[in-house]
Order: sequence, then C-alpha cells, then structure tokens
Amino acid sequence: MKSRLPVLVAFISGALMILAFFGRGTVVDAVSDRALTWQTIVGGFSLLLGAVSIARVHWKKVATKHEDRLYSLCLLICFIVMGGSGVINGIGSGTLFDTLFQRIQAPMMSTMFSVLAFFIASAAYRAFRARSVSSAILLVAAVLVMLGRIPMGQYIYHGLPSWADWIMTVPSMAVQRGILIGAALGAASMSLRIILGIERTYLGRG
Amino acid sequence: MNIIAHPKSRPDVVPVNPGVRSVRGALDSRFRGNDDRGVKAFWECGGLLSVAEQAFIGLITVVLTMHLVLPCIASGDGQFAGVFRIERINALVLSVVFGAAVLWYIAQARRGAKMYIRPIPGLSAVDEAVGRATEMGRPVVFIPGTGDLDEIQTIAGLSILGRVARVTARYNTPLRVPVLYPLPMAAAQETVREAYLDEGVEHQDPETVQYVAGESFSYSARVGGIMMRERPGAAIYMGLFTAESLLIAEVGQSTGAIQIAGTAAPDQLPFFIAACDYVLIGEELYAASAYLSGDPKILGSLKGQDLMKIVITVIVLAGVLAITFGQNPEWLTTIFEAK
Amino acid sequence: MHGTAAMDVSGKSFWERLQSVDRRILYTLIFASVIIPILWPLHLPTPVTPESRAFFNAVDSLPSGSVVLFPFDFWPSTLPETEPMAVAGLRHCFRKNLRVVGLSNVGMGGPSIADRLLDSIGSEFHKTYGVDYVNLGYKANYSAVLLGMGSKIADIYPADHRGTRLDSIPLMRQVPNYDSVKFVLIVSDNAMTDYWVALVNARYGLPMVAGVTAIMAPKMLSYIQSHQLLGLLGGMKGAAEYEQLIDHSDKASRGMDAQSLIHFLIIAFIILGNFGFFMLRREQSQKGQN
Repeated sequence: MKSRLPVLVAFISGALMILAFFGRGTVVDAVSDRALTWQTIVGGFSLLLGAVSIARVHWKKVATKHEDRLYSLCLLICFIVMGGSGVINGIGSGTLFDTLFQRIQAPMMSTMFSVLAFFIASAAYRAFRARSVSSAILLVAAVLVMLGRIPMGQYIYHGLPSWADWIMTVPSMAVQRGILIGAALGAASMSLRIILGIERTYLGRG
Repeated sequence: MNIIAHPKSRPDVVPVNPGVRSVRGALDSRFRGNDDRGVKAFWECGGLLSVAEQAFIGLITVVLTMHLVLPCIASGDGQFAGVFRIERINALVLSVVFGAAVLWYIAQARRGAKMYIRPIPGLSAVDEAVGRATEMGRPVVFIPGTGDLDEIQTIAGLSILGRVARVTARYNTPLRVPVLYPLPMAAAQETVREAYLDEGVEHQDPETVQYVAGESFSYSARVGGIMMRERPGAAIYMGLFTAESLLIAEVGQSTGAIQIAGTAAPDQLPFFIAACDYVLIGEELYAASAYLSGDPKILGSLKGQDLMKIVITVIVLAGVLAITFGQNPEWLTTIFEAK
Repeated sequence: MHGTAAMDVSGKSFWERLQSVDRRILYTLIFASVIIPILWPLHLPTPVTPESRAFFNAVDSLPSGSVVLFPFDFWPSTLPETEPMAVAGLRHCFRKNLRVVGLSNVGMGGPSIADRLLDSIGSEFHKTYGVDYVNLGYKANYSAVLLGMGSKIADIYPADHRGTRLDSIPLMRQVPNYDSVKFVLIVSDNAMTDYWVALVNARYGLPMVAGVTAIMAPKMLSYIQSHQLLGLLGGMKGAAEYEQLIDHSDKASRGMDAQSLIHFLIIAFIILGNFGFFMLRREQSQKGQN
C-alpha cells in the first residue's frame, strides 16, 4: 500500500484536474477549488519542512564545531531574527521584517543579480569561438544583435537595429517555438506517464 | 554545432584512465539495462491491490461520478454544454488523440515491439562525469532545477537524480543536492534514500539533500559556496532554471567540474551552452528517464509523443502553405486556440 | 608573432594565454565600463523598437478614467531592470488620468515595492489613494488569484494591502471583477507573464502589455506575434525607450550608457578571443609543418 498509494493519489488528483479543466458546473468548480486550496495548505506546511531542515543542518554544524560553524551560526541568528520579527510584528510595510528585507535582503539579492553581467562577459569570451561554420554563424548573429540593441549600433550602420530585430523575431523565434513545442509535448507525455503510474522514478523507484 | 568545448580539450580535466572505464562499464549496465524492477502502471495494479484498496478506488469513483456528473447535468439546461466546456473541445480532441497515441505505443512496447531511442550525448556523459568524480574523490553536485514540485521539469530532474544517486551510492561518492523549495527537498530525500537502499546502503548524511533558500539568488549564492568549497568533480543541472542558471553554471565551470545541464526553458539554454560541457535541450530532458531506464513502456510513450509532433508539424506546414498561397485558414488557428 | 618568441615561464605562448585570460581581468574591465559612464554620462539617444512603441501606443490610447490592472510581479533582485519600467508605466497612467489597481504575485517584497512606487508616483501627480489608485497586495496561489478575480475580486482580496475592506474603497466599489478592467500592464521578472497571458488574456480577453527582464524578452516576442501581448518592454533598454516616449528621462536612460559600453566591451572580448584562437591555430599548424 505504501508504494501504491502515491500512484493512486497522483492518478486521482490528475483525473480531477482534467475533469475540472473540461467540465463545467458548481460541483466541478468547488472540487477543483478545494483541491487547489489543499495544495496551498500543503505548500504552507512544506515551508515548515524546509525551515526545520535548514535549522537542523546548521545547528548540527555549530554543535559539532564544524569548520564552517561561524557561517552556520550567522545563518541561525538571521533565521531567528527574521522569522521572529515576522511572527511577532507581522510582515506589512514599515514592520521590522519589511525593513530588514528591503534594506538588507533586497540589496544582497540585487548584488547577486548584478553578478550576472560579469559572468555573461566571461562566458561569452570563453564560449564564442568560430570553431566551425555553424558556430561562426552563431557568433556573427550574436554580435549583430548586441550592436543592434544599443544606441551606438545605429551610428555604426543605420540598418543594424532592424537586422537585430529580424534575427530575434524570425530565426531565433522559429527555433524557440520548435523547442517549446517539443518540450510541451514532452511535458504532456511525462504528465500522462505520471498520472497513469508508468513513470515513478520521482518516487525513488525506477 | 561545435561551440561547446569538449571536456577532453580542457587542460583542467583529468583524462579518464582504464580504472574509470571499468566503473563506466558498470555504470552503463546500470543505466542502460532494462531495469523494470517490478514497476506496475496504474491499470496493472488490479490483481495486486488488496480488497481495501480496490474498495477505496471504487468508492472514490462512485463519489466523483455522483458529485460531479449528476449535479452538473442537473445544474445545466439538460444539454451537453451544461456539463462540458464546449469551447475547449479542440483541447479535448488534441488531448485524446495524444493520449491514445501514447497509450497505443505503450501497449505495442508491452507486446514486445522494439523501440529505438537515439543516443543523447548529454545523458551518455552522465556516467563519465560520475566516474570522473569517483576517481578524483570529489563529490557530485546535482540540482533538480529551481522550480517547485508542481513543475514537470522538476519531476524529470528528480527521475535523473534517482539514477545518479544509485551510482554514487554504489561507489561511495559523496552527493550534494541543494534544493530551492521544501517539497522538492522531501521528494529528493526520498529519491536518494530509495536509491541508496536499492544499492544496499543505509543513507545517513543529512547534508546530501539540503533545503537552501526559497529565493533563487540566495540559492545561487549558497550553491556557489558549495561549489567553491567542495570543488565537485561533476555538476549536473536538470530541471527548470531561470536567471540563476549562469550564476550557478559559471561558478561550476570555474571549479573545473564536468558540467551537464538539461532544461526545457529556452531562454536559459544559451547560458548553459556557454558554460556547460553537455546540454540536454527541451524535450531531451523529459526523454531522459526513458533513455536511462530503457523501460519499453516509457520508450513507447516517447514514440507516441513523436507521432503527435509529426501531426503538429503537418498542421503548421499546411498553415504556412495556405498563407503563402493567399488563403487565410482561420479554422487551422482555432485548432490550437486556448480558451 | 612567432610562438617560441612569445613563450612565458609556464611554456604557454601569448595566444594560448589569451584563450584563458584570468576572469578577474575581464571583471575589472566590466566594472570600469559600468562606473565610467555613471560618473561621466555620454547621453546616448536610444532608438525605439516597434514593441516599445506599441506598448506606449496601447497605454496612450486608453480613455481617461479607465481602470488599469498593474501587477508588480517582480522580486527586489531585479529592481534595476524592472523598477524603471514600473515607474514609467505609472507616470504614463497617471498622466493619462487612468485609475490604477496594483497587486503582486510575488510574496517577498512585491507588495512593499508596489506600495512605495504607487505612493511616490501617485503623489507626483497629486493622486489620491483609494480613488485614483489602490494596492491590493499579495495573495498566494497565483492561478487561483488570476482566475478568481474574473468572478469577484473581493473574494480573492477581501481587503487591500493596508487592511481596508474593498467595499470601503471608492475605486474598488466600481471594480467588482475583470469586466470593469480595461487593460493590464504587467511588470514581471518571472513566469507570471506567461500565466497572465494563458489564464487572463486567453480566458477573459483582457488586452495586456508587459515589461520584462532582458533575458525573458526573446521568449515574450512570440506573444507579440500572436497578439496576446500588445506591446513589450525588454530590460533596461525597453525601459529607457519608454522613458523617452513619455518624455521623462530617468534611471533607465542613465543606465543605457553603461549598457552600451558593456555590449561593446563584450564584442571586443569576442573579437579578441577569436583573433587569439585563429592565431593559435595558425601557430599550431606551422608547428605541425615543421
């Protein structure tokens, strides 16, 4: 029963959602709404799982005097302060939680995002080599798009922006659509396999 | 296209010695074998279900029928449209055709028809990458994407994790699986635990599957830290990725790890192609579990999927030709219109 | 340059070393190309793409007093790209006397950002909270939120972000569901744009435009081609174009100088790397002949 129950749950939930998509009526809507509510509640409890996991791993590091214990201690303190302030004062605008989030967490997140600029540069330097005809075409297209998308591009040649637009909206879009159609069918096929219990590798069985 | 540097061309990649080749041979048999393990599809469970389970399914079916179908008919005007969203008939027809094609080929596969799947270089490289990490005594980092468990790409990633975990368990290679959301954490823990049990190993390392953060840039920072400190021999990224893809892959590249990525997010593919040694593109990610398990039932579903792709291609071509020759076949666009 | 003449102590030729330049050198150059134009602006004009112009035209053609749904679906991490779009969008809406209903499907930071931007741009145009604009805040489960608002917004959001019941807010008394909404202006850094298109545009036929990060923009072009999105702003450049169109230069326009320089620098890196690559190949083939 233990191994079959998840397959049954997947089948019933999947069938229910399909019924809700194609069906009409108050009961269909009510059942699917209820299922979505359950999903939200389960999702909320799962956050608790994550919190317990993160606290346990880092507490263990502190307790066993692991070489990275200072980082773990820092994490635990931040965890308690952020979590505690949210529970005690709420998370609305102007609260301690909001201030900590806006003044500390948000700039740190922006910093990580900005690192992308550096990484894109180093990845482009390393990867864009005209090793073959096809990679040379890719390289030329990339340079044209980059030039066409910046103000200076039109001063170099006034037609560059329209060339860049053409590359983006015709060949690039055609490839993306192909990938998306294939991926969508792959996803649909996998969903079907999961609903029918053929695909169970995600349960650790394969 | 050869814009991806092959690992062997990189100075920091250790050439694979015969010892690892033997490991790889063993891995091949694990990955490619028809490893059915008694898995039964839902409809095959009938004879195996207990009376209580059969009663449970029966009850659910009766309740659903009574509560869904009967009141729907009553609440409508007695017509079929009262029960069914008629505007979605196109989606229903496409779904039925698609489902029938998949089930037909699965049935064919069960009857013993031979199914071929073309080699996917990125997946063949998974064993090489794990073998290399084993030889170097370094961990394998596996990231099942940065989506939650309701994302199908995450499930595809977890399928591949199961296979990778079996190999790492077998050769006692440390495995690190940092996850972004708690539900994939629970699923990944179960996947890894089952994989280790299958190999006769009791899995006890709580750091193997770690919930890291609920936000992708905080997550990237932590994964970067793991990469820099533990310097993995192999890094495998399989699932949905967003802007953090390059943040993770570029750090992995700087540590000299063999990197294999797979995603169906087209906007992240260029970054993976630039930073990784092998990349699974789009549907290859979903085909991975079929490829790795060699299970004919799953291979059959791939063939059904291919049939549908041919149907769509024919419709698209018909539309292109019609418009090229001055026709405007609106009915063709309504086939795929979402409502 | 002959290979042996350019050998260093590690035995690598100049061209070989050029293939694996220390990434810290690249990072320093990138850093400099961001800082220099901030200190000494170049004031480069930005050519306007058809997608940005279509975005502007779609908002500009709305009749005065129309209700615009304004999802602030972005995380604080992408503020440099998304905030200028949101600010320019709000300026355009308030200048046209459109009424703005803000909300966010990003729990962490989204509603606070919406509050801050709505208040600051609202006060710039002397708008009143609750009459000209409102912030509904965040509710979990985006699919339920997007679909549920089609039936009754008050069922999803019984109160706004400040805790005021919707039936006490004059603006929201006139907006019970999507029927009263004329337009959706999405600013997003994640898959929410896809969900707005798939769930709200497809099902309720609400016209919409989107401002997204530069990474997402190529994918969104397919929605433009299928007319599911009427206009699109892609990244900081899209925001700069929009600022130009509404005739109010701000952060994005200033950032474009740095972006232009970085693009040039990356192109220079690519040319340099390829030049080194060809020279190395030539050097190796010469060695092979010898």
